[in-house]
Formats: sequence, C-alpha cells, structure tokens
Amino acid sequence: MSNANLIILLSTLSTGLILGAIFALVAAGVTIVYGSIWMPNAANGQFFVLAALFGWTMTVGWGLSPWVAALLVIGLSVPLSYILEILLIRRFYDVPNRNISYFVLSLGITQILAGIYAITYGRWSDQFQLPPLVGGITLIGPFPIANNRLMVLAIALAILAALFILLRFHRYGRALRAVFQNREAATLRGVNVRAIYSLSFILGNAVIFAGGVLFALAYSFDLTVAWTMAITAFAIMIIGGPGSVLGAVVVGMVFGFTQAIVSIFASPTIAAFSYLGAMLLILLFKPSGVFAR
Amino acid sequence: MSMVLRSVALALLAGTASLAAQAEEKPPVKIGFVTELTGPWSFFGTSCVAGLKLAEQQINTSGKRRIDFVITDNQTNPAQAVAASRSLDVQDKVLALSGPTSSDTGLAQYGYAEQNKVPFIAPVAAFPQLTKPGTRYTFRLEPNAAGWGYAIAKFVEQRKPGAKIALIYSDYALMRAITAGLKYQAPLSKLNIVADIVFPQGANDATVQAAQVLAAQPDYVFVSGAGGFDNTITNQLLDLGIKPEQIIHPFGITTQVINWGKRSVGSFYGTFFDSNLDALTTEGKTFVEQFTAQNGRPPSYVENFCYVTANVIREVIDKNPDVADDREKFRDAMSALKTKETTSGIPIEFDKNGARKEYIYFMQIQDVGEKSYKAKQTFYTEWDPEVIPVYTLVK
Amino acid sequence: MTAMPAENTPRGLAVHWPLAAFTVAAVLVPTLLSGNRYLAFVAGMTLLHILWATGMNLLYGYTGLMPLMFAGLAGISAYFVVNLTSIGWSFWLALPVGTLAASVAGTILGLPSLRLKGFYFTLCSLVIQTVITLGFVYFASITNGDTGISQIPRPSIPGGGELTGLGYEIVIAVMAAIGIAVLMLIVRSPFGRRLAAIREDDGLAETLGINVTYQKLAAFFIGSLYAGVGGALYAPYIGFISPRSFDVLISMNIWLMVAFGGRGTIWGPVFGAMLLAPIPFLLQDYYTVKDILYGVLIIAVTILMPGGLASGFRRKVPKAAVAQDIPARRLDPRRAA
Repeated sequence: MSNANLIILLSTLSTGLILGAIFALVAAGVTIVYGSIWMPNAANGQFFVLAALFGWTMTVGWGLSPWVAALLVIGLSVPLSYILEILLIRRFYDVPNRNISYFVLSLGITQILAGIYAITYGRWSDQFQLPPLVGGITLIGPFPIANNRLMVLAIALAILAALFILLRFHRYGRALRAVFQNREAATLRGVNVRAIYSLSFILGNAVIFAGGVLFALAYSFDLTVAWTMAITAFAIMIIGGPGSVLGAVVVGMVFGFTQAIVSIFASPTIAAFSYLGAMLLILLFKPSGVFAR
Repeated sequence: MSMVLRSVALALLAGTASLAAQAEEKPPVKIGFVTELTGPWSFFGTSCVAGLKLAEQQINTSGKRRIDFVITDNQTNPAQAVAASRSLDVQDKVLALSGPTSSDTGLAQYGYAEQNKVPFIAPVAAFPQLTKPGTRYTFRLEPNAAGWGYAIAKFVEQRKPGAKIALIYSDYALMRAITAGLKYQAPLSKLNIVADIVFPQGANDATVQAAQVLAAQPDYVFVSGAGGFDNTITNQLLDLGIKPEQIIHPFGITTQVINWGKRSVGSFYGTFFDSNLDALTTEGKTFVEQFTAQNGRPPSYVENFCYVTANVIREVIDKNPDVADDREKFRDAMSALKTKETTSGIPIEFDKNGARKEYIYFMQIQDVGEKSYKAKQTFYTEWDPEVIPVYTLVK
Repeated sequence: MTAMPAENTPRGLAVHWPLAAFTVAAVLVPTLLSGNRYLAFVAGMTLLHILWATGMNLLYGYTGLMPLMFAGLAGISAYFVVNLTSIGWSFWLALPVGTLAASVAGTILGLPSLRLKGFYFTLCSLVIQTVITLGFVYFASITNGDTGISQIPRPSIPGGGELTGLGYEIVIAVMAAIGIAVLMLIVRSPFGRRLAAIREDDGLAETLGINVTYQKLAAFFIGSLYAGVGGALYAPYIGFISPRSFDVLISMNIWLMVAFGGRGTIWGPVFGAMLLAPIPFLLQDYYTVKDILYGVLIIAVTILMPGGLASGFRRKVPKAAVAQDIPARRLDPRRAA
C-alpha cells in the first residue's frame, strides 16, 4: 500500500473512532433518558451545543485550562438538568402516554435555546474553537495525528466504560435497568421510581454534555451542528433500540465510521441520507431497534 | 375671500421657508444596509460594518444632507435578507439597499431589488449572477468570483507552469463560483486539477479530506472554508505536512489572516485592498491609520468596500442632489458614475450590467501578530468582467 | 373528498355566517391595509398561514396525526411551480400540477402512519422532513441549493399584466376561505366522522368496519393539497425560496398555530394563525425573539392548555394526539404477521 493510501486509511480510522465515540456518548445519554422516563429529547443537540459553548466561553473567554473547563461544564449540567426536571419534566411522570408530549416539549426547548444562542453567541459563530487539552503530534506510521484528538478519544472511551460499569455493577445501575424493563415490577421491588427518573435525566444529560465539550475540544463547531447532532442521536437511538445503551454505543461507532468512509467516496450529505434511510426502515419494520432486549 | 388669501399667503410663506431651510431640514437619506451580523459569515459582515461606521462619521459633514445607514442583520440567511429588504423598502422607504457580504444573501437581496426596482449597491458579494445581463438596479463594487478563479489560474500559471492544483472548499455560492472559474481557466492555462473536494455547509472536520489532498500530491492547494471551518481545513492540511507556500486562499481579510496565525506564514491570499499594498493613496493611508486607531487592527478589502460604498453614495448625491428622493434617478446617476476608489485609486465605473473592470492582488503572508500582520504583494492582474463566460459558468 | 355527500353542501354553507364573515374580512383587511404595502403583505402571509394551518388541522386536529413534514410538502409544490414556470408554463397551470405533486408525495410519505402511531409517527415525519430539506439542498440543479431561487416571476393575469399587490392578497384570501369551507364540509361529512373515529381509536375504528388505510391516505392526500396550494402561492408572493423556507421549524410553527388555537375546531387554528403568523414580520428587528416566543408557546400549550385557545385555559391532563406509546404492530397483530 502506498504511503498516500495508508494516510487516507489511517485518517479514516481515527476520524471514525473519534466521531463514533462522541456519537455513542450522545446517543447513550439520549437513550438513558428515553429508556427511563420515555422522553425522546429532541433538544439533545442544543444541550450538546450548550456544553460546547460553555466550554468555549470558559477557555477562550475566561482563560481557564481546557481540563478545568471540561470538568466544570459536565458538572454544570447537573444543576441545570435538575432545574429543568423540576420545572417541566416532572409534571409528566404520571401521564400515561407522555412520550409525544415530551417530544413536543423538547422541540419547544430546542426552539428557545436556538433563539437564545442566536442572540448571545451568534455574532461569534466563526470563532468556536477551543485550545487543545494537550499539544503535539504523534506519528502513526506516515500519518500524523494531533495528541489532543487522541486524548479526546481516550476520555470519550473512558466515560463510555465508566457508564457501562455504573449501569452493570452499581446499585443505581441495577435499579435503573429494572425501571427500563418493567416499571411496575421495579416499584413492587421497592425501587424509588421517581428518584430513578430524576437521576436518569441528570445522568443522561451529563453524558450529552460530556459529548458536547469533547466534540468542541476535538473540532471547530458552529451553531448548526445542534440540529445535525439531534437527528443523528435519534437515528442511533432508534436503530440501536430505544433504551439500549449497548445499542447506542455499537450503532454510534458504526455511524462514526460510516461518516468517515462515505466522505472519501461521496459527499457527506450521502452519509446523512444513509443514516436517515436506515432509521426510517428500522422505524417501519422493527421499531424496537436492532439491539432490542 | 380672506380665507383664500390667507391660505395663499401661508403657502407662499411655507414655500420660501422650505427653500431657505432645505439643506438642513430635508429628512436624511436612508440607505438600507442588510448584512451578516450573526451566522457563519458574521466575520465578513461585522468587518464591513466597521468600515461603514468610519465612513459614516466622515461623510455627514455639516451643510450636507445627512445619509443614514439603517443596519439590519440577515443572520447569513437568504430568507431573512429578503424579509429585511422588504421591511426596509416598504416600511423605511429607503433610497437604496446595500450591505450583503455573502453571495447567498446577496443573491436573495438582488432578486428582491431587481424585482421591486430598488437600487442595490453590493459592496462585497461576488457571485457572477449579481450582474448578469439584464441587471438594471444592481451595482457591484467587488469583482465577480468566477473572475477570481480565472485570476488564480493566471497566478499559478505564472508561478509554476503546468502545476497540479487541489481544490478543497465549502459548498457556498461564492466558492462554487470561484472554483467554476478556476476549473474553466485551468486547462487553458495548462494547469492540472488533481483533487476537487467539497464540504456541505456546517461541516466540522477535514482530516480524511486533508489526507486525500496530500495523496494527490498537488503543487498548490486552493483552500476556502466558510467561517471557522476555514481554519480547520488550513490547520489540518498543515498538520499533514502540506507546506504553507503551497496554500492559496482565494480571499483573505484581516481577521482571517490573524486566525490562520504564524504557522501560515508563506501562504498566499487574494484581496482587493490590503494595508500592505505597494501603492496606497494618501487617503488610503489615512483610512488605514484611522481604522487601525479605532478598531485595533488594520482594515482589509471588506472594510474598504463598505467604506467606499458609503463614499460613492455621498458622491452621487452631492453631484446630483435631486436623485436623493428618486430611486430611478439615483439608479441612473449610479450607472453614469465615473470615479475612483479614494483609498487605492482604482477606477469605479459600471458596465451596462452593473459590473466593474475587475482586478485582484495576491499577497504572501510574512508575519502574523496578535492584532496585525505583514504581507507582501506578489501578483496583480486586471481583466474584463467577461474575459471568461462568467454568466454561463455558474447558474 | 369522494365521501362527501353532495346534498349536504349548499344548505350547510349558505347559512354559515362565520365563514361568510371570514371571507369578507379576509378580502377587506388587505384592501384596507393596502395603503401600507408592508402591512398588506403581512396580512397576505397571515392568510397563507391560515390556509396551511387549516390543512394541518385536518391531519392533526381531526385525524390525530402530527405530520412534521408539512412544510416540506409545501416546498415540493413551490419548487415544482418555480421550475415549471421557468420553462415557460403558466403559473395557473403549474399551481395545480405542483399541488398534485405535493399531494402525491404527502400520500406516499403518509404511508408510515399506517404502521406507526403517536410519537413514532411524529418522529418518522421529522426524519422525512429532514430528508426533504437535505434533498432540497442536495439537488442543487433543481433547487439551487442553499443559495435558493430569487426573482421568482409573479403570476401573469389572463389578459395581460401581473398578479401583484392587493390582487395577490385577494387570491390568497379566497384560497384560504375555500380551504376553510372544504374543511367544514369534510368535518360534517361521513368521511370526517370516520376520521374522528380513527383519531379516537383506530383499532376500534377498524373493528367498526372503517377502512383505516383508505381514510388515512385520503386525509393525507387532502391535507397535502393545502400544503401544496400554499407552497405554490408562497413562492411568487415572497419572490424567493430556499430550503430554509420549508424546514422543520416552519412545520413546527404551523403545528403550533393549530395546537395554540385549538386543534379539532374549525376556527381555533384560524385564530392561532392570525395571532402567531404576523409576529415574525412585525418583530423584524427582534426576529430572534420569535424563536424564543414560539418555543415558550409550544411549552405553554403542551403543559397548560392542551386544548388550545378554543378550549380556554382549563388545566387538564394533556391528551396526546393519538396517545399510543407502542407501535401499531403490537396493536394490530394481523398486520405484523
């Protein structure tokens, strides 16, 4: 294989991995919220961008280290989610078919946040680029990759691993999975379903925020990424199976690689078409998703 | 009887009074300035407004009829540009429209202006169709973008005959037009296009595409991303080992050059005015000084075109005061205008479609600081607007 | 349409004074405002949104489907009309063709509603809307991509001249009035009652012998006609279209007009459109406030007044459109087999 082709191959692999890990994070966040409280959060892309914007303000505006900023942003998601949960989300916990109400609600939130960003951040939309976590470049064979991106990839994978461990081995994780599977049974077994709801909403959003701030650390971004991300995360959730974190991770990785590979041969628009097409087919023929329990 | 007399007397009185006070009391002339204050093109729009503001302070000297620019945001969104134009046209009754610095919004506004017969002065929108045959109300200061493509081919041909060029750019009307001109002229200039990579709007990453460019082994790389993405592409090319001397940006304004940073020293960019030009007029030097004093950075062609736009409108109204209240007359006066850019001395004259004699400078970056940069003029060319079939190359 | 009994129609409409009042007002308002072209234009846009909201009302209010691809359908019609007129067709011929294209597309894209309900159908329609928008951007040879198409010629009037200004607003007003009249006829017809039965419970409707497939597709066909006529009129009226003129936000806005005014009533959505459609034009200088305001209204409608203005601010448990959380497959085992 010629050097040039090797460079293309390695760049595709690295891009696929980083994008895939970030997609997986966001989709995992969306699917945790949907699996527990039935909220299909269309505002996930706006939350994602909110994290990225906070990260930008903290590093570029206030001069904080990107490490500190990333931790602060993820930390900040907790009180913000909790306030939102108290104000809006909680009201619907007892509504029998709440997912469509939540869906509409989240579309409303999307519109509000998009309007707020346009007023507050719109004028800087050409400048959203964060300082790197670490400097320097590593050569993988002939292919140079920024250490910063490797670090972002490592962190994203670490968060995903932590999430798995939490859901599988921690008491909360077991309770959460019990709620995923059967609310009534979980209640009977003494699980405080409402507390699990609140926790899941906060946890899901924290993971989405992590995805947003990591994306901002790896790539430049603008406000339009919100809608693309929202649709992509939905597509991943539906294909992977709503409520299945494993599905979200696997399909998220597949999407990351698809995006990287398709952009070699065709326009990235084709990649978007292919996601959406796959999502429609799954919706129509196996709405419980590929990784349904 | 007495009532009639009194009203006649009143009318007479009013007549003389208005004559005496004409210069001061006539309402200001309003120009609707719809530009990119937010959205991906905001770095152009805000630069433009900075140039316009400087001109606004200078052109409204006492004794002259005031010219007010009603500045409105178009969010880099064509639909918003049309909506704002309509509001300015019908509600504010502006004499003329101006302002867009992106071809997408410019085209939308052009459609509105031509259809509703509102004179439209495009400071910085380069899509060829803005001056397509049959255009009547639109006048454009910036050379058309298909022509830039022609000029880039000429520039590369002069530097390295038979060179291989790779193209990597965002899918905006402006970039489509430049590359159409470049692709048309390349074979005529005996250049070889070895890669042609387009990003959709809103793209974030160029790692794979930069690798593809590298694999094509070009002598020169034409790079043009929208907004912050321009930096992303440039940096990823440099990361992979493309030399700065191989990179040609079709256009560069101050904020862009500063954002490219030190690692881009040696790269080329096209421009129509730059503080580092070999030949600036005295007024041009004053403009650079005043602008730098006010904004903390030197102006580039966007600031200049918007500054010139305000000056051109002032000049037309000063020469023929009666055009200030009549759009048709204003259009005719614009069409007949023969003047020069005060800052660089380059002539301004519009052909029957509202296009100017076209020109471009290529600069090579020498040094980049926090708020300023040094560049060297390496190439200049001028051409007739229709030297290549610009109006049929891009739809 | 076919299900509409003819004997019902003339009597039903003749005595219907609100419709008569609306028609008079719809023609009169732009006429009175024509001194100020901008306000007249805002009135024209409002009437256009009334037409769209009425179509959305048929689908959302009376059939219980929330089609977020509504604006995309309007876009299909608009691009058809613009392309056909640019190759020399008369606008008046292009309008029905574009409308029909939108309706056929709407009927086909409505097919998923046969399997999917509630949230799943809404999500599906959101995906479809996104695909349509991407398509508008991607097939630039027809749509001119994100740059959009400007200088769309105004319709010519038989006998010379162009349809502009007040004349255009009156055409839109008449179309809006016809749209409302058609919806009234549908609602009173057996077809309308079948749709209402489907909205309440389509499994039950099926067991009552209603051909759910046929009724839903007919509803999509007719609802899309509204989108199509509106889109065809929109393009030359504004003079400019781009993919963003018909994106998901527009669908949401139209949906909001219906939900805010009161779905499932004839006049609720009309008032919803009257109140909400002029806002972006009147707030031209504070346009971003529009997004925030619409967003807040969406949330307010969902939480505080699920019945919309028409039902007042009674606080009650939100009743979802067709509140089925599970896909149709599980409701209807026969189809899954």
